Amino acid sequence: MLQGQDLSFSVGQRVIFDGINIETYKNELVSIIGPSGVGKSTLLRVLGMFVRPTRGRVLLHGEEVTRPTPRIALVHQSIATFPWMTALDNVKLALQGRGLSKEEMEERARRALEMVGLSGFERFYPKEMSGGMRQRAAIARALAGDPYVLLMDEPFVHLDELTAERLRREIYDILFSEGSTLESVVLVSHNLNEVVELSDRVYAMRGSPARIVGELTIELERPRNQYNPIFSEYVSELYSMLSIGE
Amino acid sequence: MYGGLIIAAAALATFARVLAMMGLSIVTGWLLGYASLRSRGFESAYIPAIAVLESVPVIGFFPLVLIIFVERIGGPLGVEMAADFLVFDAVVWNIWVGIYQAFKTIPRDLEEVADNYGLGFLGKMRKLYVPYSIPRIAANLFPSFADGLFYIMASEVVSVGVHTYEVFGIGTLLTEYVAGGQMAGIYYSLLAIGVGVAGFMTLFRYFARASVAKYGLDTAAQIRRRERPAPRLGSSAWVTLARPMRRLSRYAASAVLASVARPVRSVSGRAPRLARAAGYAIGIAILGYIVYSSYRLIAAVPAATWSELLSDTPAMLYALAVDYGRVAVITGASFAISVLAGYYLATHVRASAIVIPAVQTIAAFPPPAYFPLIYMATYTYMEALPGGIGAEVYVFILGFLSTFYYVFFSFWMGVQSIPVEFWELMDNYRLGFWDRLRRVVLPATLPYLVSGISSTVNSAWGGLMVGEYWPGVVPGRNLEVNVGLMKLLDVYVSQGYLHRAAWASLLFGAVVAVYSLLFTERLMNLSRSRYVVEEGIFAA
Repeated sequence: MLQGQDLSFSVGQRVIFDGINIETYKNELVSIIGPSGVGKSTLLRVLGMFVRPTRGRVLLHGEEVTRPTPRIALVHQSIATFPWMTALDNVKLALQGRGLSKEEMEERARRALEMVGLSGFERFYPKEMSGGMRQRAAIARALAGDPYVLLMDEPFVHLDELTAERLRREIYDILFSEGSTLESVVLVSHNLNEVVELSDRVYAMRGSPARIVGELTIELERPRNQYNPIFSEYVSELYSMLSIGE
Repeated sequence: MYGGLIIAAAALATFARVLAMMGLSIVTGWLLGYASLRSRGFESAYIPAIAVLESVPVIGFFPLVLIIFVERIGGPLGVEMAADFLVFDAVVWNIWVGIYQAFKTIPRDLEEVADNYGLGFLGKMRKLYVPYSIPRIAANLFPSFADGLFYIMASEVVSVGVHTYEVFGIGTLLTEYVAGGQMAGIYYSLLAIGVGVAGFMTLFRYFARASVAKYGLDTAAQIRRRERPAPRLGSSAWVTLARPMRRLSRYAASAVLASVARPVRSVSGRAPRLARAAGYAIGIAILGYIVYSSYRLIAAVPAATWSELLSDTPAMLYALAVDYGRVAVITGASFAISVLAGYYLATHVRASAIVIPAVQTIAAFPPPAYFPLIYMATYTYMEALPGGIGAEVYVFILGFLSTFYYVFFSFWMGVQSIPVEFWELMDNYRLGFWDRLRRVVLPATLPYLVSGISSTVNSAWGGLMVGEYWPGVVPGRNLEVNVGLMKLLDVYVSQGYLHRAAWASLLFGAVVAVYSLLFTERLMNLSRSRYVVEEGIFAA
């Protein structure tokens, strides 16, 4: 699926991360965790080729990715919607340049909005929507482009706790729903509860330069309950991965 | 060296005039800004007055200046005051509004700390208001300096009828050298201006960088991005953010102001009653004076003169319409070039690191100073063009060189303000160049563009004023268009028909002010309400 091979990234003389190998499989949500400033968001951007690595390469279905592509869609931490476009127009942006007719574009954009629960809000401008609705619109835009991989950079961090919890509960089903072409998701987060709730597998990053210090497969039935003792054990295990040697 | 000392002294005198007027604008801006904070009455007169006066291009004040300073006061002092007034008018509005907006956005917390420790007027000014306004002042030094230089070059020598009035300065010296065909003098004068412009721009750049670093609580840099360093920008670009052209820094401030229902701090209830009453009194006194002066002026003009002026009016309005056509062409060309060049530079860090400071320095170099050289090198070709087209091309060149930078820097700064997330989305969905422009870049930069175009329109008049009628642009040659209100103004002044010049400039000022208030401000309000790119990022 998506592979990052021997990825390194430097700013000037400073090596941010080095020798990172990362891989996702079909129908899998993979998380990358690590302390603030370790380079998680940069790694995510390298996986989408928004930022070029100093060394290493990224493969999608075995083919090298050399520049950003709608097949690998990015959902930002700071929820990014164009204020002069309605929710529908924001989503249609992902369908530009594909040779679709106006009707087809409209239809697909509506379907994407429906998938994220924004039916009826097509004509709303971002400023008329709550933060949670805006992030749903951004996710709909990402899904409308028929991506194979979704890169999510702390997508719930700017939402209030209740909204974030509700969206977290729904997101897995939205992402891997029947209408979606999505095959895997890479989520960056420093919220360990969120990571255990959503992930199938987790990579832990730490150090300077940062490296992958651990990998954990989470085998818990969905929907996951954070009051489940096994859930807490996973959280503790991730915590230990990040704090070893500190 | 060709009159080296005189040239150096003249250049210093010219720069000193501009800097002195900028200094005066800053000091008065602090006082008036403070007064408008303390008195809502004063504030409600101060801000609309600035909006109206600023919308009248400097040229609109020209006949008034001649009547008041040159005719009534007269002598070297009168001419000096006339030149200084025009420079003051060119530099002041931006600085005043910048300071006012800085004062209005002082966080309430800091204000409360100042109150807590019992700081009085001087204490607050020294510890809070003045430092807080420094970044905005720094951002306004560049456009103010460029504008001031333009008008000082155009106003150091004034011919009214048979009299020629001049003040000592590099503009006067250049005029003499051009008239005498003294090429060495022209080159050395241009060199002196170039050295001065480059030196002052470097100083301003250093000051902007230092002030943003030390006092920069409310600069454009904060709006630019929040957490991640933008991959498209080098460190030099951060510095250049603090050097927008005329009105630009104010846009950013306006966006901040627009995002809160009322400015951060509220005046009501805290302004002493006495100060408020004084504010109202001052406002009413100024208004009364204007009404009384207008009445006396109208009453003093004989009926025959009124009849003559009214019969001239259709021709004047026609000439104004022709000039608006010229302004439209200049603005359109500036817009097209700015969008293409500005987009390229904003997305190519290395190129912009070299080109932007260079363009900035060139922008401050007043076109009237070097235009005769362009004319000298090209007039044989231009004269071959049929029926006045050559003159039109020259006017276009002069207007373009005088104003291109406004819209260019506006757009460039607007592109800089587009959040990095939007660039990533455009890359992600592989939008082509035109899609990027149409769907994202132009809407995102609209408020900046409106602001830049508005400045371009206002400043183009200065270029037209110089270019439409320039007797002796090089020895033995005149530059002159067939029709144009700026030409009429020039001709009236040079022939001593000051009443006609005053009437023409009154018509001009009224039309331009109405256009500005009705059209530009509405467009600006629309762009602020819908096209604020910062609102596209939700980061609670």
